[in-house]
Amino acid sequence: MSKPAGKFVGLGAFAAVSLILGAGLGSVYISPAGILRALFGGGDDSTRALVLSLRLPRVALAFLTGAALAAGGTVMQSALENPLASPFGLGVSAGAGLGASAAMVAGASGGVLGALVMPAAGFVGAIVAVLLALGLARVFDKRVSGVTVVLTGMVLSLFFSAIMDLMSALNPEYAQRIGLWQMGSFAAKGLRGVLILGPVLAVCLFIFIARAPELDLLTFGDEQARSMGLDPGRSRRSLIITVAVLTGTAVAFSGVIGFVDLVAPHVARRIFGARHRVTLPAAAILGGSFMTLCDLAARTVASPREIPVGAVTALMGAPFFMYVFFRKGAR
Amino acid sequence: MLKVENLSCGYGDRQVLRDISFTLAENQRLVILGPNGCGKTTLLRALVGVIPFEGTVELDGRELRTMTARERGRRLAMLSQHSSAGFSYTVLETVLMARYPHLPRGLFSSPGPEDRALAEAELKRLDLWGERDRPITELSGGQLQRVMLARTFTQSPEIILLDEPTNHLDLKYQAELVRELKSWTERPGRAAVGVFHDLDLALDFADTVLLMENGEAAYIGPVDGLRGADLSRVFGMDVVGHMRLSREKWEKFGG
Repeated sequence: MSKPAGKFVGLGAFAAVSLILGAGLGSVYISPAGILRALFGGGDDSTRALVLSLRLPRVALAFLTGAALAAGGTVMQSALENPLASPFGLGVSAGAGLGASAAMVAGASGGVLGALVMPAAGFVGAIVAVLLALGLARVFDKRVSGVTVVLTGMVLSLFFSAIMDLMSALNPEYAQRIGLWQMGSFAAKGLRGVLILGPVLAVCLFIFIARAPELDLLTFGDEQARSMGLDPGRSRRSLIITVAVLTGTAVAFSGVIGFVDLVAPHVARRIFGARHRVTLPAAAILGGSFMTLCDLAARTVASPREIPVGAVTALMGAPFFMYVFFRKGAR
Repeated sequence: MLKVENLSCGYGDRQVLRDISFTLAENQRLVILGPNGCGKTTLLRALVGVIPFEGTVELDGRELRTMTARERGRRLAMLSQHSSAGFSYTVLETVLMARYPHLPRGLFSSPGPEDRALAEAELKRLDLWGERDRPITELSGGQLQRVMLARTFTQSPEIILLDEPTNHLDLKYQAELVRELKSWTERPGRAAVGVFHDLDLALDFADTVLLMENGEAAYIGPVDGLRGADLSRVFGMDVVGHMRLSREKWEKFGG
């Protein structure tokens, strides 16, 4: 077995363990055999209902969201030649947050319709923010260089966050909900999110992996990329828009969850190397597994209370990221 | 091979180059000389397509602007100064990337056996084959630049543009790099345009000189036709006297 293949087997085992733990642990323990039985229609009714209606959709959504954010982070870091770049830095989170907040304040977040309007508003906000960042970058710099994109994204994020703060201040009755949405959660958002995010993730991952050689070239900077036959501006724009669609869909269901998009790509590169055709799927599986475990912690650590999963990813991700990033720098 | 006519360009409203014209024939090695800020690197960046320009640039009669980025990548390659690498690709992965413009278009295309053979040959020739699995982030500046040279050769271009490729290299590597590049340009259908920080190295490499003054061509012709007075005017100092002094200093050390 080749080296990367062996590592992928290990990664697959890690993902399987995180999924089994996520589906099995909680207020009621369900054994791996019990989960399998429920999956194939066996076992008692209450266990089957718990597994199929609550645990599995939630675990699947957490996994898909983590995978989407990690894949998006990997692409952003390479497309912008910046190891600290992330979809959130480009305005995805601020845009989604603003869209969702606007929907709440407009009174469109309640009832059955609200369950559809909120993700849609978040998604539209994320896409608008990224398109605006790219559009502004193009106005300032016709070549759409990485630095310009990062800077316009940063400024727009701050601007959108300020509008969101203003909305919270002027509508105090929504302030807590807006704050909670920004911290992210997978509670009670199961199957619909899985059915939408799953296909979007599959298509976007396919696009990223197919275009992996472009990402490899972009990491060497615009001049080198162009010298080797790539149009870096065009390539970067279309890749970033794909990232915006993917991560916008993810945060639309879960809210903003940081650090996975930053940590997973770095860990994947340390284990699998820099080549995107290998490291992209690896980062996605790692991000998915990490998110599943973080969500497990979010709902079990302070049970019966649930803590925001965004807080868990930051608490676990920040020190881990420092370790991975600075250990690399020290070498 | 390359015909540049009235090329003008700049950054935003600031014009850096005005009406530069020259031709580059097969096996020719043209070096661009001039003080800092005169537009040497800007000219290379315009040729490689990073900066838009006015005027015409033709490669074997075909206007450069009508070529796609991949077509251009098959014919022109640029070797710049590299002192550090950002992502931990292995040496072999880094060199193989240069085959991108030659890969067939389509999803999931990747370098084939012929591309690998080319990369292997260049790595072996530059004595880097033993390092092929090492991450480039772990290489010294000199080793990294040799990897980039191997990558530029693996791209199989017709013309190589050199942007101060010997900066950060010690003397041995500088001499080796210039030797390799000279030998590369001597093969059929090849030529080079270069900018070197070191005048000695530049004149050792070149057979033709383009002397630039404030974004315009002050001299274009063979190295032997270059006059000390022109160099001194453009650089704002007695260049020949300075070089002679330093040569005398070195001669004191003996052989």
